[in-house]
Amino acid sequence: MFQCKDVAEEASNYLDGDLPLKKRIGILLHLMICRCCRNYLQQIRKTIKTITNIYPKEQHNTDVKSLAEKLRNLPEN
Amino acid sequence: MKKIFKRDQTNEKELIEQLIKGDSAAFELVVGTYHSLMLSVARAIIGQAFADEVVQDAWVSAIKALPKFEGRSSLKTWLLQITSNGAKTRVRRESRQLSLDDGWESISADKFDHTGHRLDDVLPWEEDTPDALLENEQLQAIIEERFNSLPANQRAVLTMYDMEGMEMKEICNILDLSASNVRVLLHRARTTLHHTIENYRDN
Repeated sequence: MFQCKDVAEEASNYLDGDLPLKKRIGILLHLMICRCCRNYLQQIRKTIKTITNIYPKEQHNTDVKSLAEKLRNLPEN
Repeated sequence: MKKIFKRDQTNEKELIEQLIKGDSAAFELVVGTYHSLMLSVARAIIGQAFADEVVQDAWVSAIKALPKFEGRSSLKTWLLQITSNGAKTRVRRESRQLSLDDGWESISADKFDHTGHRLDDVLPWEEDTPDALLENEQLQAIIEERFNSLPANQRAVLTMYDMEGMEMKEICNILDLSASNVRVLLHRARTTLHHTIENYRDN
């Protein structure tokens, strides 16, 4: 029988559809009886959607314009 | 859950032709679009110290090889593959070992009882749709800050899978990791950012 801890550990794989059938069914059965885990998965879903929308990027100090210009003027180009 | 990103091959072909012709707007567009992503991959493989150099070299190699680009993969995948190859070569030279366990904060064990059941009540984020969460500038800044403090390999996986919609197989290939390791990193990154939103809501 799947427990809340198992759902927390497999939340990403479950949401991405990357679980073997047996585990998927185990989680589904647990979700039917556990409101907390249903809410937890909903929160993870919203977290993913929020991050995707915010789209944080790697911080860097590269001057994109001058790098583009440097690449454009490469001798072989 | 996974978003479907379709590749516009016509536009990409035109863009590559413009690059070969030396069009400055095309160069700015491509560097502006992919530089951060390439840096993310390089940092995940080689770490912060050498990543800038690896990406600069990758750009030069890619631009020189552009006339030979056959379009079998997207421009993005091709650029990331060149970055990844450069970073892996550099790793071999520097013999650096990177750990999967940097900065991982799992769900605290005291949230579950001895049978694995949750001790606390988890409430749905009903009123906080992603749009509503986004309207909150303070939260947005906190998420961005937390994202940037994630271990580089978690940032790279999260960026490629959730934000760029890349296939698991491509990501494994680029980062030279097994699918199970990529899934672990993805889950850790998502869980950490979930904690960040949860803590913000609680305070």
